[in-house]
Amino acid sequence: MLSVHEVTTAYQGLVAISAVSIEVAKGEIVCVAGANGAGKSTLLKSIAGAERPRSGTVTFDGNRIDGKPQHIITAGGIAYVPENRRLFPRLSVRDNLRLGSYLYRGTPDREQPLELVFKLFPRLSERLEQRAETLSGGEQQMLAIGRALMTRPRLLMLDEPSQGIMPKLVDEIFQAVKRIRDAGMTVLIVEQRMSECLEIADRAYILQTGRVLMQGSASEMMTNPDVRKAYLGL
Amino acid sequence: MGLLYGLIAVGLALIFGLMDVVNFAHGEFLMLAMYVTFFLFTFFAIDPLLSAPLAAAALFVLGAAVYLVIVRFAMRAKANVGMVQIFATFGLAIVMRGLAQLFFTADYRSVPNSWLGGKTVSVAGIYLPQPQLFGALVAIAAFGGLYLFINRTDFGRALEATREDPGAVALVGIDKNRVFALGWGLGGALVGLAGAIMATFFYIYPDVGASFALIAYVTVALGGFGSVFGAFAGGIVVGLVEATTALILPPSLKSVGIYAVYLLVVFIRPRGLFGSM
Repeated sequence: MLSVHEVTTAYQGLVAISAVSIEVAKGEIVCVAGANGAGKSTLLKSIAGAERPRSGTVTFDGNRIDGKPQHIITAGGIAYVPENRRLFPRLSVRDNLRLGSYLYRGTPDREQPLELVFKLFPRLSERLEQRAETLSGGEQQMLAIGRALMTRPRLLMLDEPSQGIMPKLVDEIFQAVKRIRDAGMTVLIVEQRMSECLEIADRAYILQTGRVLMQGSASEMMTNPDVRKAYLGL
Repeated sequence: MGLLYGLIAVGLALIFGLMDVVNFAHGEFLMLAMYVTFFLFTFFAIDPLLSAPLAAAALFVLGAAVYLVIVRFAMRAKANVGMVQIFATFGLAIVMRGLAQLFFTADYRSVPNSWLGGKTVSVAGIYLPQPQLFGALVAIAAFGGLYLFINRTDFGRALEATREDPGAVALVGIDKNRVFALGWGLGGALVGLAGAIMATFFYIYPDVGASFALIAYVTVALGGFGSVFGAFAGGIVVGLVEATTALILPPSLKSVGIYAVYLLVVFIRPRGLFGSM
């Protein structure tokens, strides 16, 4: 479904990821793990169109998408929830969700994914009139994922969904990710907390200083002694 | 008059609120709208009352084009973006003024014998000039329309979202450049309406925009930068202050009051009366 081939992306001459290749098949949950500064976020940005790769190709459902504007890539079926969530802070929860369905304005079933969003995150339905900035960190993450689901993606990309969230909610969010996959979507997650991520993932990649260090199925990763020592702290 | 000041200022506030860019050519937009009205009247005998929507449409196109052709590129500057934007719109102002002088000459023009021009209406013994009164009605209608547009339509919500975080709208599939162009178009259309009405009671010449633009900046700053409602209220304040000053001081000093009040507000409440920043 998604194929990233030898992508190199640099900021002002500094190479953040170098010849990174990953594959994501339809219906998978793929986890990309790695330490801070390994290039995880840059990888997602390069796919989402927020950064333009210097070289390499990104193919989604058979179409080249590298170099395309970000809003076109979103419309093409890739929803991206960035690290800092980028909600519209002074707009209400309802307006944030409604903006998510902007692409479907004028269609009668515009708010169709809302049912799934409320099923996954019932708290959102209780806070519809609240400004997004008044939500807790976990609720903001839920809203960001909810807004992304409203764009009806085939591929959902999450950047550090656990960041700045209390542990109980982290679990809730990871369970929601599983249910999103069960609803027919494909998920690509970037995470520092590798153990939680591996629990729900099918496959995983480990990035180190901008390169793919290791890849394999989630169960392989969990039993690999090097991974256990370096990344899972076991 | 205050409502007209408000109408001019709202266009400025809308653009500033949306993208933190001050349009220094705003006065020249007004000037051009007045000329559009003048030429439509002179050559096609279309009364300003009817040509106001045409002037608004023309300025919508101009506003959107200025964003797409000039400002969009000015915003890509690698360093000192603020300065680049100022010089870009300021330069545009000078170019527009120069072109107006070249093509329209520096002569003072006016729209004589329009339907409303020079007529007054008596309300409870007070004579009110019809053009200004009509202008006030148009301004109120335009504010109402803008309010509904921003709060009730999807494009309005996209405008609000872009104002919150232009970098995030692509996440929901919105092209920020289209929203910015629309914002500039709307700002232009509002000043276009104001220009059409002002053409009925004000001389039209290439530099006419400058004094009104200055008042518009004061109005926006008074009301609070970026606040569309503030610009509207600021316009009313400015109009009232001007009228009151004209009663106390000689008419040639009527602007003094505006700037005095402005200084006062800036000292006491730098973010403006309704500013949230």
